[in-house]
Amino acid sequence: MATSRSGRQPAAWTGSASVFSGRPDPTWAVDDDVARELMDIWGALELWEGALPSAPALGYRGCALRDRAGREWSTHGDVVRLTQDRSTQSRVDPERRFERRLLSSAPPGLLPPFAAGGG
Amino acid sequence: MALRITIDIFSGRPNPVIELEGRAAIDALRRLRPGEKLKRGEAVPPPARLGYRGLIVERRGAGGADLPRTFRVADGRLFGEGLAHRATDEAFEDFICGSTGPRKPHMPRTFDSFAIRELKRFRKWYAVYRPPKIRLPKLRPACLCAPLYEPMWWNDAGQRQYGNNCYNYATNYRTDTFAQPGQAAGAMYTALTCASVRPAAIQDTLIDSPTANNRCPREGHLVALVIAPNWDFHWYRKGRNGLWTHKPGGTQATNLDNSGKLIPDPRTADRGPYTQFCTFMVVMHGHIKIR
Repeated sequence: MATSRSGRQPAAWTGSASVFSGRPDPTWAVDDDVARELMDIWGALELWEGALPSAPALGYRGCALRDRAGREWSTHGDVVRLTQDRSTQSRVDPERRFERRLLSSAPPGLLPPFAAGGG
Repeated sequence: MALRITIDIFSGRPNPVIELEGRAAIDALRRLRPGEKLKRGEAVPPPARLGYRGLIVERRGAGGADLPRTFRVADGRLFGEGLAHRATDEAFEDFICGSTGPRKPHMPRTFDSFAIRELKRFRKWYAVYRPPKIRLPKLRPACLCAPLYEPMWWNDAGQRQYGNNCYNYATNYRTDTFAQPGQAAGAMYTALTCASVRPAAIQDTLIDSPTANNRCPREGHLVALVIAPNWDFHWYRKGRNGLWTHKPGGTQATNLDNSGKLIPDPRTADRGPYTQFCTFMVVMHGHIKIR
């Protein structure tokens, strides 16, 4: 029932999914190559100024990528939001490429099947 | 001997008041002398309403000892302390309100006809008036010992919110450790199943109450355990108003289920992937220990 698979050294990039209630949410180290892919995806997305999609109370509520500098890209539905030094920027991701790529980088068996794209 | 008679008819402006003295007062008291006692269905004073509502009579000085100091005349019926009778002259109001009666100070000439019209309208309504049967609302069984629903306290977007999960919230026990059933007793669950999480919670001194059937306990408060099979557990707690609330993980405490509805019973709530309802349990305040 491990929920964290970080190595001894803090990973440069960390993925997480907001999915559990009782247990701590799962986190995992994200490879640099995957992180670069995610940054490319982020760079190609268009700005979004609408409301963020709402998440259900129980079950999968989204996932996030963090770097050592404290930046966080969180996504649920078709919006990705970057939070950095208390400022945020949102971009629209209609094909949910960012979310699917990040979730697919989780080690097998870490995410429950009810996490979108996980399993 | 004097009488002060208020025609109870207006809402915003002051009601007209008539002062009767001497013979006029004595004559009025004679006409208002209690006659036949009102029958049960008649002894109902008129409720507050718009328009004419009766005369309020205040007795001053000696005379009229068979009447209370203040009483109401409505459609020839007398109401006051120990008074529920017909007036000797049931047309007394017509006399007071009409143009042949005493002058109404500060009122235009048209008032008399207005008052008579109102009196007729009142009689028509009062003849068929029956007081509504008051049914007290059925109160939802109050859970007096249940914790308050105070989401703002938990949802601080900081240590309280992120460090406390559904188990902390349901037991109303802040540890800032994302408490796990059984951990404080050294007997944490070993699988994400009802069969494993339930005894772990019992080790924390929660009381298993599978037959609680959504009823509040006499002491402590009710919680409910549900399971996303092999993946996670989740807890709800029953509040003082009988409704359930919960706090999914490090997210905000809420009183809504996954369909955005209030939760009268966690067994029937939209619980997303937490498809197994395990049991109700009772949290005795001060007895449990979680970590």
